[in-house]
Amino acid sequence: MTITLSGISKRFGDFTAVHPLDLTIPEGSFFALLGASGCGKTTTLRMIAGLEEPTAGSILLGDDDITRLPPHKRPVNTVFQNYALFPHLDVAENVAFGLRRRGVRSVRKQVEEMLELVQLGAMARRKPRQLSGGQQQRVALARALINRPRVLLLDEPLGALDLKLRRQMQLELKRIQTEVGITFVHVTHDQEEAMTMADSVAVMYQGRVEQLGPPAELYENPRSTFVANFLGTSNLIEAEVLPPEEGTSAGTDAGIRVKTAGADASASAGAGTGTGTGSGAGAGAGSGAGAGVGGDGEAALRLPSARCAVEGAEAGTKVLVGVRPEKISLTHADEAGTVPAGHNRLTGRITDASYLGVSWQYLVETPACPELTVYAQNVERDDRLVPGARVVLHWRPSHTFALDAAQDAAAGEEAL
Amino acid sequence: MPSTTTGPVAARSSRPSGTPRPSGPPRRSRSPLRRLRRNAVVLAGCAALAYLLLPNLVVLLFSFNKPAGRFNYSWRAFSTDAWTDPCGVADMCGSLRLSLQIAVLATLIATAFGTFAAFALARYRFRGKSTTNALIFLPMAMPEVVMAASLGTLFLNMRIQFGFITILIAHVMFCLSFVVVAVKARVMSMDPRLEEAARDLYAGPFQTFWRVTLPLAAPGIAAGAMLSFALSFDDFIITQFNAGPSTVTFPMFVWGAAQRGVPVQVNVIGSAMFVLAVALVLGGQLTANRRRRA
Amino acid sequence: MTTAAPLTGSSSPAPGPAEAPADPAGGAGDGRSRRGLTPYWLLLPAGLWLAVFFVAPLFYQASTSVQSGSLEEGFRVTWEFSHYTDALETYGAHFVRSFGYAATATALCLVIGYPLAYMIAFRAGRWRNLVLVMVIAPFFTSFLIRTLAWKTILSDGGPVVGALKSLHVLDATSLLGLTGDERLLATPLAVVCGLTYNFLPFMILPLYSSLERIDTSLHEAARDLYAKPSTTFRKVTFPLSLPGVVAGTLLTFIPASGDYINAQLLGSPNEQMIGNAIQKQFLNVLDYPTAAAMSFLLMALILVMVSVYMRKAGTEELV
Repeated sequence: MTITLSGISKRFGDFTAVHPLDLTIPEGSFFALLGASGCGKTTTLRMIAGLEEPTAGSILLGDDDITRLPPHKRPVNTVFQNYALFPHLDVAENVAFGLRRRGVRSVRKQVEEMLELVQLGAMARRKPRQLSGGQQQRVALARALINRPRVLLLDEPLGALDLKLRRQMQLELKRIQTEVGITFVHVTHDQEEAMTMADSVAVMYQGRVEQLGPPAELYENPRSTFVANFLGTSNLIEAEVLPPEEGTSAGTDAGIRVKTAGADASASAGAGTGTGTGSGAGAGAGSGAGAGVGGDGEAALRLPSARCAVEGAEAGTKVLVGVRPEKISLTHADEAGTVPAGHNRLTGRITDASYLGVSWQYLVETPACPELTVYAQNVERDDRLVPGARVVLHWRPSHTFALDAAQDAAAGEEAL
Repeated sequence: MPSTTTGPVAARSSRPSGTPRPSGPPRRSRSPLRRLRRNAVVLAGCAALAYLLLPNLVVLLFSFNKPAGRFNYSWRAFSTDAWTDPCGVADMCGSLRLSLQIAVLATLIATAFGTFAAFALARYRFRGKSTTNALIFLPMAMPEVVMAASLGTLFLNMRIQFGFITILIAHVMFCLSFVVVAVKARVMSMDPRLEEAARDLYAGPFQTFWRVTLPLAAPGIAAGAMLSFALSFDDFIITQFNAGPSTVTFPMFVWGAAQRGVPVQVNVIGSAMFVLAVALVLGGQLTANRRRRA
Repeated sequence: MTTAAPLTGSSSPAPGPAEAPADPAGGAGDGRSRRGLTPYWLLLPAGLWLAVFFVAPLFYQASTSVQSGSLEEGFRVTWEFSHYTDALETYGAHFVRSFGYAATATALCLVIGYPLAYMIAFRAGRWRNLVLVMVIAPFFTSFLIRTLAWKTILSDGGPVVGALKSLHVLDATSLLGLTGDERLLATPLAVVCGLTYNFLPFMILPLYSSLERIDTSLHEAARDLYAKPSTTFRKVTFPLSLPGVVAGTLLTFIPASGDYINAQLLGSPNEQMIGNAIQKQFLNVLDYPTAAAMSFLLMALILVMVSVYMRKAGTEELV
């Protein structure tokens, strides 16, 4: 059943928890609301459940307006944070609760089946406090699912579980969702959880949806610094858009070129073949660096226009250029010549290298940015890549994105 | 990291700093003086417990006494006369019945009204809430004799006949606060999400209250009710100021007997209630334990 | 609302944002106003009961205390303050004795009760519930009966008096005027002993509940940071248990200062407390104005003492 939120908002006194919000959650999808605590994601979920009345806007379930319906009349069930299992009822009675309230007479068979589905058949007569966290979680799930709701709402359902169990339950939830085929709306602050489970994710920040889309798109092409930092890690480099290159017709997408603060220094540290790199303004304009190698390639970074989040960016626009740490390759400065042509490149010095098991994490100081993070697969490592070594960082233009420089570059960084 | 610190800490804590390490094994010293000091608090606690329980033992012991005169203050001979004939004293069992009647009624009324008020105070914000809280708290911070004398003065001024009703009114008055405090504490500690879960699971307002709220609040309500019963049953001061000549509760009977002569049966009643109550509590705990283990 | 408002709203100064119902969702139109009245309906029976049978009597008592007349002719308000001066003149010693005995009993309760509360909270292990039951168990026997048992325990020929006599303790205490040189009954010591005994559980239970809340890892942290056990107690445990100490001392002192049963049963006319005087005036002499004046004075003195104490203790929160 499709859920349509239109213009829905929620204010508590002077505080606006959710700004007017439009959202369509397609039928049968696994939809995640992702954000740090206090971003309005739980309030949004509670409005869908009917536990919070929206200040404005409406909620449609299919074609029915359920905005003013009390929670017990909505065909929607919730798996609560910390589960909210009734401590005075045993597992079977907890699961049967919803059916009994709707006047279903013989609940036994259904309860048994549901407990089998969540693999708790043997626990039917236990009290909730006698169960482990994972078992309680499954009871909460069974208690909601047995009612065959049109939509299942999950409020941080795995938050109280330890890492291993959380991974296991993520897969389990995904399996059950595929099995029952109903719409799941999942609220979480854990970006990894949202990415592994959801078909599409809405990232919320300060009561607004920052970006909405499939997990891969959010990760690969973030449109705001919050999304870039909150989902994984991003290197953000201050830069300025350069005028379009000569010789490219307006129709073809030559992409956008930007120059960074490190243009001069990187040029001098590089092969030194550039022309007129002394002044920043001349660096890009002076040469047809398009597919060239060497100094000019370093001075400017390229990216496809579609990956620029700033609308109507023209020469001189300040932007933040981003690249994910695992997209960057590190090459020792002695072998700068092996860097593939057409890659974006920066030169710098390794300040720290730490071993993470599956990968190495390097911190590289460059003129463009005091600290760039690079993840390198833990195979065939170049022994010369130690702190102090001079290196060339390079990556494909298609892995580059650009964001509006007017926002806080650190947004979403400390958020858990 | 923690594993490296526990070593020195454990060693440090086993001997007071500043004193040289005693010779012999570096484990906790076995010197009796040291052991005494370590367990001084337990000894003092047990002594306090003995102080608390001594009178009950004396009451129990003297329920088997065969006193010489009317007063049962010194031991003479063993006898089970009083136990075989607990109602052998004029008026005593009547007063016991009156006390029970008043206690049951006062408990019912105070528990009902107190529970309503506790829900209002725990669940709602409204004008005058802090005043109401003070009003509820004040009777517990007032010496009984003040409440007794002032309520008695009111009844006198209103020319209300002292008797069953006046005692009942007084008992409900001082029990209310205790019920409110017990229930309020429980309701405030209840997870509001449980009621949300019920509403989410198709329970309407009434069903939510009946199936979830009330069962969850029940321990607090039961505690308040038990406290009310005990307070009402055992009350003397307020009762003495507000009783009529024909309404003699059990504590008033004992008071009167203390002047005229205390029958052994009083000890029988006291001991029987003590033993019964302790057995009930312990039995309840044992079954609860067994059920938890099962 | 009309009935509940005057009694609950009279002294609330600002009808500010507290007016809104707890549920922030509010609700529209008539739904909101109905929800706004619910707490008043819930409070109505208990509030009314307390207003009529607790607050109103206090005012009645205040007015009675300035009346004059006799039982036969009836009493009238004459703004006769002589009851207060008379009460202080005649029963000043009773007041002093009441507060002295109550303070001594409270101090003793703290000294005796703290180790027991500490033991239950930290050292009782699996016996914890059993010991708690034992603390509450005496309540199941009527306290008059238990107080009478002290008559037996402290009786003249009894083992306690015998032991104290042979240790010459009684000689010392009788010099101080606390006991007779031959007996304990009908002495100040007996009354204080009875008061201490009767109100000890009221000290232990709040102490226990505040001690029990202390995280034992704080003890370990203190020890880790070079505190001796005694320092740990002084600097960590005791300060954290202060709310319990304040609640316990109030719950002991207030009822003890108004008590007249222990003085009556265990004391002699020389140990009479203010409660005895009020009781006699009210029930025997039938001098209601004097009884009311004394009772009012007792209440006022206690309220003053409690508020000063609570300010000193720095805690406004009690329950």
